[in-house]
Parts: sequence; C-alpha cells; structure tokens
Amino acid sequence: MIERLDLLRALADRRTDEIVVMTMTATLQWPVVSQHDLDFDFLAFGMGHAADFGLGLALSRPERKTIVLKGDGGLLMNLGSLATIGRFGPPNLVVLLLENRIYEMTGGQGLPTGVDFEALARASGIHNGGSQGTGKVERCETLDDFAAELPRLLTESGPHFVVLPVTNSHTLPPVNHSDHAGRVVKLRRALGVERAESQR
Amino acid sequence: MTVGNGLSGSKTVESIVALGFSHVVMIPDAETRVLFDELVARPEMQLISPAREGEGVAIAAGLWVGGARPLLILQNTGMMEAGDTIRGCGLGPKIPLRMLVGWRGYPGAMAGRLPIDSAFTYTEPILRAWGIPYRLMMEEGDLDALAEIDRIAAETSMPAAAVFGWTFRP
Repeated sequence: MIERLDLLRALADRRTDEIVVMTMTATLQWPVVSQHDLDFDFLAFGMGHAADFGLGLALSRPERKTIVLKGDGGLLMNLGSLATIGRFGPPNLVVLLLENRIYEMTGGQGLPTGVDFEALARASGIHNGGSQGTGKVERCETLDDFAAELPRLLTESGPHFVVLPVTNSHTLPPVNHSDHAGRVVKLRRALGVERAESQR
Repeated sequence: MTVGNGLSGSKTVESIVALGFSHVVMIPDAETRVLFDELVARPEMQLISPAREGEGVAIAAGLWVGGARPLLILQNTGMMEAGDTIRGCGLGPKIPLRMLVGWRGYPGAMAGRLPIDSAFTYTEPILRAWGIPYRLMMEEGDLDALAEIDRIAAETSMPAAAVFGWTFRP
C-alpha cells in the first residue's frame, strides 16, 4: 500500500505543465503538495465524473497531458466511462485510480469486495486502445514503483490507466467549498482560453 | 401548442457545422439516428459517444473548459439521468453547455394517444425548474433555435437547450 500523501508529493515534484484534475479526498491533500494554476478541484462537479471531465480536457488540449486523480468508489459510480476511454481516450490522458477500497469521504464504508479495477479497465479496451491504440493499463504496488514509472507516464503516449493501492494515515484538511465558477475561470485563464468565449 | 412535422437531419447538421462546433457528444436514440449517421461522416467535428448521458455532460464540460466548442445531443430521458452532472458541470460552475434535447413522447402526446409518456410530461417542467432557457425545434423554420441558444449560452455563460419533438428525416 502506498501512503497517499507521499504519492501525491511524488507526482507534484515531477509535474511541470500538465493539467491535474482531482476529486474527493485527493482534493483535500493535493493542495498540501501543490499550488499550481493548472490544478483543478473537481469536487462537487458530479460524483464519479472526474475522468470524463479530464477526457474532455485532454481532447481539447492535446499539447499537454491531463492527469486525473480519482477514487475507486467514484469509478464504481460510472464504470461505463472505462469503455469510453477505451474508445476515445487520447494519448495525453492519464487516469490515476487511487484504490483504497472504501468510501473514505463519507466515513470509510467498504466497497463491494472482489472488484478487480485493473481487469475492468483491460476488459473495457483501454490496454492497446484509446484513440491511437497506444493505451496502457498498469498497476503500481509501491511508491518506488510509481516514482520509477512516473517519468514515462508523463511523456509516453497513452491513454494510461494506473491502479494505485493507497492508504492514508494523515488527518485530512477540511473540505474546501470554493467558488466553482471561479475554479473554471482560473483554469481557463491558465490555459489562455478564458477570453475566447466572451469575445464571441 | 406547437406541433410541426420535424426537421431534416442534413439541414440540422449543416447548421451545427455552420455554428463552428468542434465536438458533438451524443448517444444515438431512435429519433436521432439519422442525425448520428450524418455527424459520423462530417470531418469538421469529432463525434464522441459516451456510455451514458451524465458522462457526456462531464466530457462536454471538460471540452469547453479546455477551449473547445462542444454540442451535447441527448434525449430528454438522458437529460433527466444526467441531472446531477448538468447541475455540477453546467449550472453551478456557469459552463455554457449547448444542448439539443430530444423530447421523447411528444408525437404521441400531440396525437392524443394515451397513456402519455412521463418523459413528455416532465421535460419542460424540469428545464424550467433548472432555469435552463430553451427554444423549440419542431419544423424546418425553427432551425434558427440552434444559433439562438448558442448566443444565449455565450451571453449568460449558462446552459441553454433547443428541444426537438420529432424523429429527424434524412
């Protein structure tokens, strides 16, 4: 099991100009390790849909990677999205599935046991799939494994779907209900597209 | 009461292309299959077919935030399923989703056939409850509704919808 905050720190240390979309408990810890204009807090935008939003971002911004940090409980809410990534996922999409086997945000209730998320992603056509046939489904068991694979994940053509078994021993910061429209404006400004729509 | 006799899929696609949409996010249904086939063949835009409408709304939101110009095409039933995502990825963060919504149940209701499809009954009340401005597209003369909802969405930075009631003709 990987300590989640260590995993997030490893990603933040390597990340340069990639968009990072995070949701649920990852939104609480990501600001501890990153304050970046291309960070996007998806919390309360729609449960289970962070990777879908990331797919749209990746399609519209092919010049950079879009990385999505999402949980296994959220994926169960929207398993069909795996098939969509398997068909339409562009090479610049990276989905990091934080597998903790609980609904952590709501108090730690257990997920259905026996679900193999790596197998689900493979069976959905992501491996050797995506829009270019370059998709990969992987699993990293340790922080060292993840740190070793990260440079490749940030440069290699995907889409990538990486299962990361995580735990958390840190006290979580409180939920931040910041202005949702403001989050959108901030990211669009960072991408240089905010003025385009208003000028139409 | 509006009745109309439907629209040509070809002319509707020409309108979509003319408005400069970069992506169409849609799941085909019985009413839009002609439209779907026309869109697949158009090189000007990419057609994305998600597994479910809520997923499609989030994809469209991501596309727009990234600077693209997506159009969502969904049946009223899918719009109802996608309610939380329309809230979270449209109404709340002020993302101007352009939606072309199929009004399942409309022909039957206009013909007075019973029982009335509940999908017909709740479509307009739900759009009104969400505060989503909408225009009806029931015949060829209504095609301007697409440009109008595009303008409304741009001016308000909020979702707007064009609602069609009949199966698209070739």
